[in-house]
Amino acid sequence: MSIKILLAGEGGQGIQTIAKSLSKSAVTAGFECSYIPSFGVEQRGTPSIAFLIIGRKEIRYPRFEKADYVIVLQKRAIKAIKSFVDEKTKIIFDSSTISAKALPETTAGLFGIPATKIAYEKMIPKVFNVLVLGKLTDVFNIDYDLAWSGVVASLGKKFQANKTIEEKNREAFDFGRHFVFEVANFTKPAYVPSTKQITTIGHHKKAEIIPARCKGCGICIAKCPVGALKYSDELGVYATPIPEVDLEKCIACGNCFRFCPDAAIKVEKTD
Amino acid sequence: MDKIMPTSWRASSKPHLFCPGCGHAIVLKQLGFLFDEMNISRNTTFGIDIGCSLLAWDFFDIDTVQTHHGRTTPTMVGFKTAKPTRTVLAYMGDGAAYAIGLQSIIHAAYRNDPVTVITVNNENYAMTGGQMSPETLVGTLTTTTPSGKPDNLGPGLRGPELISQVASSNAYIARASISNPIQMKLALKKAIENQMKNNAFSFLEILSICPTNWKTNAKDSFAKLNELEKYYSLGQIERKTDEKESK
Repeated sequence: MSIKILLAGEGGQGIQTIAKSLSKSAVTAGFECSYIPSFGVEQRGTPSIAFLIIGRKEIRYPRFEKADYVIVLQKRAIKAIKSFVDEKTKIIFDSSTISAKALPETTAGLFGIPATKIAYEKMIPKVFNVLVLGKLTDVFNIDYDLAWSGVVASLGKKFQANKTIEEKNREAFDFGRHFVFEVANFTKPAYVPSTKQITTIGHHKKAEIIPARCKGCGICIAKCPVGALKYSDELGVYATPIPEVDLEKCIACGNCFRFCPDAAIKVEKTD
Repeated sequence: MDKIMPTSWRASSKPHLFCPGCGHAIVLKQLGFLFDEMNISRNTTFGIDIGCSLLAWDFFDIDTVQTHHGRTTPTMVGFKTAKPTRTVLAYMGDGAAYAIGLQSIIHAAYRNDPVTVITVNNENYAMTGGQMSPETLVGTLTTTTPSGKPDNLGPGLRGPELISQVASSNAYIARASISNPIQMKLALKKAIENQMKNNAFSFLEILSICPTNWKTNAKDSFAKLNELEKYYSLGQIERKTDEKESK
């Protein structure tokens, strides 16, 4: 008997960290385990997948046709998991960014955890993956100390460098572990990137921001000579905050437009 | 004033594949505006290399060719030989240009082939996880130099200076930086015009940032770029004439 787990998300979300921690805990507990990462050539933004098998028997082949558990944390990764889902597959997904309608059909159950929402509102966005990991260790019935040792094994270096990182991650881990799956229909995710163009018109100035292209790198904010830009509550394409312009301060120098790598912002003078 | 996005960009492939805050996209944006301004997008072939530069494979609405390991330069030279009326650009990163493909560039410069080579220098192999490249400065932390780059691995290769030693006198060789997009665009324009008007070799290195592998935010990335600019001097690189040759 072995459990086949498929983790899918986006490069930069920490999918591989979750898989690494889980596999390290499994190996420490004396299980057989295989972990195969699979991602594209890009560092950020494209699907990142991890194939994980944990069992008592020796594992002869690390790939599988159908997964027992699918964990999907980003809408754009759904395409990649579709062929691994059958009617017995349990799907755990980020209900704050993914609508249940977009997921493949299964009778075993859909379990939503609004991880992005919790991480943004109660903690810091970066602990998102540890929060999900916390819940997964609960789902797979892994002993608390053993599960945390897996996290330390994969993130230990960062913890040594900065104690606050460890505290923040521990907090997220505990929260995730004690999280109870809600009963809901999950049709309206709360954190959806805005698609409309945002236009603000000021005195002789007009600012345009396109959230569908903004990746939230913050170069425009760093390069603004008068500090007219700051992060807003709206989200861009990678569910990162997009900037907003204070047209009272803005001098329409065009620096944000010139430096923006994604062609997502422009301020121009109007008559 | 310019549009928010260059017309030569392919709108359907946006948002593009580069990481948030990638310097490549800042270069390609100015290049896109330059294509619009010079109205050459119908007459240009864009060659890209392996590494992060290959993520530009569907970036432009322009004919694009992709080859590997610095062979973009000879490929584009061959293309130019077959179709002399086209403008050809070879776009690559510092790993492709100075480590695995240096011989290709040296010989293109030596023969004064009419090709424009644009090298984006972010001083690491970004796509594979930020390993040390020949451009990495001494003391920099990378995944292959976890305690800082030691002295015995070289202080950081000055590519354009090296290439200028073998280049012809009408070649345009320069270094620009993304910290000044206006000057960078002017340098790009000169590099392309040198190919079109003088039928000569041009080489432009652009210092860039890599927030993902440098693990820096926007402000710190530009602070680090400033450090790079202190070592790699900006501007056109004049060829040192040999004494015997001048006699």
